Order: sequence, then C-alpha cells, then structure tokens
Amino acid sequence: MKVLAAGILSLLLVLHWKHGAGSPLPITPDNATCTTRHPCPSNLMTQIRNQLLQLNSSASALFIAYTAQGEPFPSNVDKLCGPNVTDFPTFHADGTEKDKLVDLYRIIAYLGASLGNITRDQKALNPKDQNLHSKLSSTADTMRGLLSNVLCRLCNKYHVSHVDVSYGPDTSGKDVFQKKKLGCQLLGKYKQVIAELVQAF
Amino acid sequence: MTLNLRTKKIYPTGYFIKYLYKMLTLWTRIVQASFIFLATESIGVLLDPCGHISPESPVVQLGSNFTAVCVLKEKCMDNFDVNADNIFWKTNHATVPKEQYTIINRTASSVSFTDISSLNTQLTCNIYAFGQIEQNVYGITIISGLPPEKPKNLGCIVNEEKNMMCQWDPGRKTYLETNYTLKSEWATEKFADCKAKRDTPNSCTLDYSPVYFVNIEVWVEAENALGKITSDHINFDPIDKVKPNPPHNLSVRNSEELSSILKLAWINPSIKTFIGLKYNIQYRTKDASTWSQIPPEDTSSTRSSFTVQDLKPFTEYVFRIRCMKNDGKGFWSDWSEEASGITYEAKPSKEPSFWYKIEPSHTHGYRPVKLIWKTLPPFEANGKILDYEVTLTRWKSHFQNYRVNDTKLTVNLTNDRYIATLTARNLVGRSDASVLTIPACDFQAAHPVTNLKAFPKDNKLWVEWTASNESVNKYILEWCVLSDKSPCIPDWQQEDGTIHLTYLRGNLMESKCYLITVTPVYDDGPGSPESIRAYLKQAAPSKGPTVRTKKVGKNEAVLEWDQLPVDVQNGFIRNYTILYKTALGNETAVNVNSSHTEYTLSSLTSDTLYMVRMAAYTDEGGMYGPDFTFTTPKFAQGEIEAIVVPVCLGFLLTTLLGVLFCFNKRDLIKKHIWPNVPDPSKSHIAQWSPHTPPRHNFNSKDQMYSDGNFTDVSVVEIEVNDKKPLPEDLKSTDLFKKEKSSTEGHSSGIGGSSCMSSSRPSISSSDENESGQNTSSTVQYSTVVHSGYRHQVPSVQVFSRSESTQPLLDSEERPEDLQLVDNVDSGDGILPRQQYFKQNCSQPETSQDISHFERPKHVSSVSEEGFVRLKQQQISDHISQSYGSGQMKMFQEISTADDFGPGTEGEVERFETVGMETAIDEGMPKSYLPQTVRQGGYVPQ
Repeated sequence: MKVLAAGILSLLLVLHWKHGAGSPLPITPDNATCTTRHPCPSNLMTQIRNQLLQLNSSASALFIAYTAQGEPFPSNVDKLCGPNVTDFPTFHADGTEKDKLVDLYRIIAYLGASLGNITRDQKALNPKDQNLHSKLSSTADTMRGLLSNVLCRLCNKYHVSHVDVSYGPDTSGKDVFQKKKLGCQLLGKYKQVIAELVQAF
Repeated sequence: MTLNLRTKKIYPTGYFIKYLYKMLTLWTRIVQASFIFLATESIGVLLDPCGHISPESPVVQLGSNFTAVCVLKEKCMDNFDVNADNIFWKTNHATVPKEQYTIINRTASSVSFTDISSLNTQLTCNIYAFGQIEQNVYGITIISGLPPEKPKNLGCIVNEEKNMMCQWDPGRKTYLETNYTLKSEWATEKFADCKAKRDTPNSCTLDYSPVYFVNIEVWVEAENALGKITSDHINFDPIDKVKPNPPHNLSVRNSEELSSILKLAWINPSIKTFIGLKYNIQYRTKDASTWSQIPPEDTSSTRSSFTVQDLKPFTEYVFRIRCMKNDGKGFWSDWSEEASGITYEAKPSKEPSFWYKIEPSHTHGYRPVKLIWKTLPPFEANGKILDYEVTLTRWKSHFQNYRVNDTKLTVNLTNDRYIATLTARNLVGRSDASVLTIPACDFQAAHPVTNLKAFPKDNKLWVEWTASNESVNKYILEWCVLSDKSPCIPDWQQEDGTIHLTYLRGNLMESKCYLITVTPVYDDGPGSPESIRAYLKQAAPSKGPTVRTKKVGKNEAVLEWDQLPVDVQNGFIRNYTILYKTALGNETAVNVNSSHTEYTLSSLTSDTLYMVRMAAYTDEGGMYGPDFTFTTPKFAQGEIEAIVVPVCLGFLLTTLLGVLFCFNKRDLIKKHIWPNVPDPSKSHIAQWSPHTPPRHNFNSKDQMYSDGNFTDVSVVEIEVNDKKPLPEDLKSTDLFKKEKSSTEGHSSGIGGSSCMSSSRPSISSSDENESGQNTSSTVQYSTVVHSGYRHQVPSVQVFSRSESTQPLLDSEERPEDLQLVDNVDSGDGILPRQQYFKQNCSQPETSQDISHFERPKHVSSVSEEGFVRLKQQQISDHISQSYGSGQMKMFQEISTADDFGPGTEGEVERFETVGMETAIDEGMPKSYLPQTVRQGGYVPQ
C-alpha cells in the first residue's frame, strides 16, 4: 500500500506541481555533476531564511483561515488539528548546513505535496473561500521558491543532485471530514515545523 | 496566389477566344473548328502553371540584393513555342528592364534587384505565347523589412500580489511581423514565455506574482522573418523590484491635550510581514494646494502609526502616505487614500482688530459711538469664538461690560474720554485684550502719516506710508469703492504700530477705484487720517468722453468735455487723445493732459466739416467716446463787420468829402454844369451890340465846348452908341463869319426875318453879305447852329436868326441879376440839370430839330422886349424841347426818388414862383416865362 500511495502522491505532484518543483532529487556523490540553468545568487542563504520567515509569517494566518471554514474545527482545534502527522520528515537542527538543507528539502517537498492535496480538496469543498485558496496558493508558491533555492544551494555548493523524499497520505479516497481533518492536522504541523526551521536557519 | 495567377492566366485566354471568334466570322467553318480545338487544348494546359518562381515567398532585408529564378515547364514550352529567352519580368505591373535578366539555361531565367527599398513588391514571370500574346506564368510577393534590433533597457516591476511587468526598448521599426517574447527562469526551472501584444511590443506582463527571495532571470527575445535576437539577461530577486500595495485604512485622530498634534494610523500592506518598509507622509491644510512632507528619516522603518506635530490649533489637515522597501530597492507604492483631521482648539492667539465710529446723530451731552471689530481669522481664533467681551472705562473706576456675539456694538457715550477693551473667547480661553482710546469731543487729531502710497502687486493692493514721529499703537486702514452711484461703504483692517507696508485684506475688485484712508492710533486717540486713491488692477475706461464744442471759430474750435464718471474710468485717466479729421483728410491726433477739460483745435480750415472723437486712456488702454462733428464758419466772428463797417465808413466819408468838395466847388461846378444864363429881362439894349465881342473866349474850340451850353449860345453885347470897337466881339463875329464861310453859309446873318421864318438857306446865303451891311439898325442876337447830330449831316439847314431889334439884356453885368440866377440855380436839382446840359452840350446838333424853333416863330409878333425874351426862351425851349415830355418824365422819376424827390419837387414849384417873381420884378407883363414852364417843363435858367 505504501508503494501504491507513494505512486499516487507522485502522480499528484506531477499533476499539480510545476515541472521540476519538488521532484525528488537523487543524492549523488559530492563530486557528481550538478548544473543549474544559471548561477545561484550570492545571498542564497539569506533568501532561504527570508523564505522561511515568509512562510512562518503566513503559517498562522493560513491555519486560521483553514480552521475558520466552520464547525467543529474552530472549537476543537486542538483535538482535530493537532500536529499528529505520521511519516513527517525529521529535521536535525544540529546538523551541518548541507544536512539541514537536505532535511529542509525533504520537509518542504513533503509539505508541498500535502499542500497540493489540501488545495485540491478545499477547492472542491470550499470553492468560494478565496482567502483560503489564495493563502494556500501563495504558501505553495513560496515553498516552490524555497525548494528551488535549496536545490540551487545543494547543487552548486554541495553538488547534491538527488534527495530521496517521502510524501504524506493520499486523501482523495477519504470522506470530506477526513479530508478536512487531515488538512487541518497538516497545516498545524506546518505551522509548528516552519517555526522550528526559522529558528534553525 | 495560385488562384490569383489562374485568374490571370484565364483572362488573356478569354481575350484570345474572343479574338478567335472574330476570326471565325471570316474564316471557314473548318478553320473555326480547328481553332476551337486548339483553344480548348490551350486552356487545359494553362490551368497547370507553365512554370514557377524560386523562392516562393521571399522576405528580404531593405537595401539588400535579391534574385529570383523563373523555370518554365517543358510541356508549356512546347505548347506555346517559348523558352527562357521569351521570359520577361514585371514588378507591380511594370516591366523590369532586360538588363536585370540572366538566362540560366533553356528553361530558366533569373532577375536580380539591388537595394530593395519597397516593402511589398509583386514580382511576376511572363512570356509571350506564340510570340505575341502576353501570358503570366507565375507570381510572387517580395516582402521587405528589417531584422529586429536587440531590445535594450529591460526592466521589471513587481506589483505586490498582482503581477510582474517588464518593459524594454524594442529598437527600430522592422516593417515585419516581429514577435517579442519575455523569457524567465529560476536557476532550477524555466517559466512559461510571456508574449508581448502586437500593440505593445515594448512590454509584457506576467499574470502571476513571482515568488520573492528567489532570483529570477529575465530576458527578451525578438524574432521576425529576417532574424532573432536576444536582449541582455537581467537577474534579480523579485522582492527588490516590488512595488508594494499602498498602506490602507489611514486614519487621523487629534489630542485634547495638545492642540498642535494629530495622530495617524494605517494598515501596512501584507508584504511588510517579511520585508521592512519606509514611508512618505504628506499633509496640508484643507484649503491649501501644496503638500508638506514629514522628514523621511522619521519614517524610515516599518510602522503603522505616526504623530504629526507642530500643527496649528483648530485647523483641518489632510494626510496621505505611501511606502516602499526600506532598503530603497524597489518602487514606491501608490499614495494611499487621503484622510483628514482637525487639531484641537487653543485660546485665541491674538486680540481682535478694534475700531470705532462716531455716529452723526448727536444728542445733548451724548454721542452714539459704534464700536466695531473683526472676527479673528481661524489661524488666530484657534477655535470657535463663542462671544466677545467689551469693557468701556470712563474714569479709572467706572466700568461698563458688554458680552456680544456680533462684531459691533453701539453705545451712547458722554463727551468724555473713554477706554474700550475687547477680548474674544472660545472653548479653551480668552484672547488678549484689544485696547482703544475714544477721545473726548474736543480732541484734536494730529500727526498724520506721510508719504502715503498705494500700488498693486501680486494681485494685491499694497499700502505704504511713513509714520509720524509719535509712538503709534496701531494703524487703521479703511477703504471703500468710489462710485457715483452708490455710497462709500468702508471696509477696514488693523495693522500693528510697527507696520508701514501692508496689503488690503478684502475682496477687492478690479477696475474699481478705492479710496484708502490710513489713520494712526496713538495713546490718546486717533491721529489725522490720510487718504489716497488706488486701483487693484486698472482697465480701459468703459466709456469714452463725450466731447462737444464750446466755441467754433473760422480756424479754430474749442472743444470741451466732462470728466468721466469714476464708475466708468476703470483706472486713472492718464491722458486724452483727440482725433479729428475732415471728410477727406487724414486724421490728426492730439494728446491732452488728463487735468484738462477743454482743448482748442487750431489751424482748422474754414467752412469745413470736422469729425472729432476722443478717447480717455488709463494705464491699461483707452476707450473712444461717440463721434462728434462740427463745421467751421466761413467767416470769423466780426470779420463781416470788420469788412462792412470800414467800407461803409469809407463810402460815407467819400460821399461826405464829395459833398463837401461839391459844396466848396459849387461855383466851379455850377459854372461847368449849370452856368448862369443871362436873364434877358435884365439885359438892356444899350449895352448890346452885335459887334461887341463875346465875353467868353471862343478862340479855342475846346473852350467853346467846355462852356457847355454856351457853345450854343452866343451873347453879343452891342453898344449902339459906343463907337469904341470891341475886338473880342468882333472876333467872335469874325469867327462866326469864318464858320459861316467854312460851312457854306449855314450861319444866318444879323437882322432880317426871324430864324424860323428865314429858314430857307437860299435866303440866308444870298443875303449874307448884305445882311451884314444892311442890318445896322437891327440886332443880331442869335447864333446859327449848324452842325448835325453826332456827325450826321442835317437834312435841313437850320438857321436861327433873330429878327428882333430889341437889345439883349445885360444881365450878367448886373450882380443882382446874377444873384437871381444863382438863386434859381441853387433851387434847381444838380443832376437833372447837369444831365440836361451835358446832353445838350454833347449834342449841340440837337438844334437841328426844327420844331424847337417853331414856337418863337409864333410869338414873333410881340414887342421887341418880348422878342429878346424870346431869344432866351428859344434857348430854353430848345433845350426843353430836345427832351420834351421825356424830360418831364425824368423829372417825375427823380421827384419820386428818395434822395431827391421832395427837394426837386419843391424846387419845381419854386421855379414857378421864381419865374413869377421875376416877371413881377420886371414890372412888365412877362407871362411867357411861367407859361413856358407849364407847357414844356421848361426850367428857368
């Protein structure tokens, strides 16, 4: 089943993510050839930090917007939206910059895929909630940019051309409440993790 | 293209068919059938192009060379019997010169063009079928243009949460369809292209907001048929090109504690969550048009509120704000919506302007004083003025308080000196007191300002003056519009005692005359006012002056006009211009000082119509009044009198001198024109002798004629007893004799019958010598008049001979007789007589009228004495008869004349009387004289 779920997630990523964004990178030896379309900027790490700040600054608003879609979520946020996400990539804040960047890449890839599922579900469940949609879209775009920067850094500096990533559960076959509950749990986890990442970088 | 070419191909074939049909009418049916067959065959062949041009759709660069090749098909060449030599080229229906052709081989011909300059050229390959029929083979369109230039100056702007727009300079015009594509990519992925629209080839907008903090590389690719070129790549972080959304929900709030501050608050754009912002805050008062800006260093960091200080109390301010990334990268946002707020009130910052007027109606012991003051302007009131408090102090201890909401207060004051104070109150507090001294009735104002001037500047009316030496508390400036139609309603303002130059802060109007009065106010009361007139802005007068003539002379005219009313002056009248001209002459302009109200036009032409118009000029222009005409008289005043009076006086003087002269020379005149006629009644025979020479000298013919009637009359004085010879008379006799002989005996002899009875010439001539001898006892007293009238020879010789023996009277020897004659002369009119005698003198031949002598013939039977009288009567009668009734008529006319009528008539009567007296004096029945007068109008001489 896990293999099947991973395959479905990969398919979703292909459908909803733009080409190249969040695609799993193979971990290659440091001396392996890794090229980008143009050189990375010198302030790349600053940009990564700013992107994390940007995501962090908007995470709460996104979570609130998500939970504001109606009961029972507003009154049972802790129960329904607790950050109980299994298989969430781990982050080692005490690692090297390369390790942190690899962890970051895995986390953002996971979150990106999950955010794609949430966006798909919410467009179906709450088609008129433009505020939530725009926040989800903006967060997803920022994660794309963050992945690009992390990849550019890993590639140019650490010559890492591939990173194995994992994705969250597929919600397409679940009922509406489960979709909303899983989405809310993921956004709660995202709000928690992004704050840790900001601190780590 | 193919269809078009087919049409062209068929069209000449149709002509060909028509041509063949024409031929068929002449040729045989067999020939006709053959041609139809051939034509059908030809059409079938021509539907398939005879050849083609290579290249098919060329696009060439302007100014470059181009070569096209036309290749004929073998089948077509056989059908039409043509080859490459028969190919000719056309561009836009014009045949290309054969010098540009190149025969490549039997089937191909090329044409070359250098320096292509036309953007679109139709090029066709043609042949002459059968050597004469023009046939189009193929055609192409040559499109010319330029390759795109490298786009320059590429730049992008990221509109927060909206899009990213990039602009560039596309370079020269290509004349071709050129695509401009904006390309963008991250380091790890490429984005979709943004194709510029045809109408905006210099920009393209990405319909999504780029991700911040990820460098994006952007460039422009320009491509058309002639080439493709790419601009320089730019690589940037979109956050550094962002144009944030403007801050919104700007609000303004005042503080009750501080009347000089306002607190601003706003909501920042969402981008502020991950970038720092800086701001521009601008403000202005509500009525102002220019903005003031908070110093940028005070707003260089992200914030959502700001307190603006140093504002005026109770003043409405308007604010706006914008933001941008605080590191200066990127673009300023648009301005936010404006928000306004009013600062809190403060106590009035200045005392009100305070003045007074004493009303004209006085009651005994009291005077109504109208206290007036100005509302404080908002920037001095610092709030809403609730009321004013007026205090009047007559002595130091006597107060009168008034609380007034209006800006005036009328009080009845005694004639004493008063001190008035005024304060304005608002919600916060009171203003300082404005103090005014109202002097006693007997106060004498003095110390006026000097050098008072008023002038417009910057659309304001400025007033400047020099203060007197006294210490001035303040100045009161009053002004009003001077008008002939409305009274002067003054406005006023107050200035501090240190001010010497200010402008009038009222709603002044242009073209109005303002009377400005400056009154200094001293401690003891107002000083003497000084006034001046001024205009805020002058204009040309609304009306021109109406000119009229005050006096018109032969060569000059005095024009006068009234000063223009102040309502139409619109400015200071600087001068007048008088334009005058005749109907045909040039216009003459005269400038007249504005202080004049009349002017004398000189050097005018007499008896001429002049048109005059007059303009009044201010500094800004002039206005003409109505035209006016006048005519100069032909003569100057008194000129006629100056001519007529001297002429009349001269005439009168001349007449008077003539009269005096005539009076003084009356004797001489009388002698010439009215000589004394001897009175036969006074003659005496004793003194008369035929041999007595005449008393007058007849030696000369001139003398004879100068004597007038005496040419007709010869008086011979004969002294019968006197033997003494009288040589003169004898000479006269001789003279007559000579005349007689020279006139062939026309003169009569002495004695014998009367002249009438002896009128026969034979008698006279035959008895001439004898009579001279035989008439010693008779008296010859008559002279023969023998000349014709005006050289006419009388038809009948006239002889006048007296047969009387009565001696002539020697009247001339006797003074008394002469006196008598003189009296008669004096009683007779001069002119008639003169005329009478003159005519008689000039016409001595009138004696030819024989009838003149017939009357004496009838009286020839009277006595000797009567005969002598008859001699005189004959003379007179002769004269009288020569005029006859005509003379009487003349007398009558003269008698009716104004000057001479009565006198003449009286004289006529007097003649009669004199005649009668003469007759009486003689004591003889001498009734012939009056009879003669009555019968023939004879006037006694």
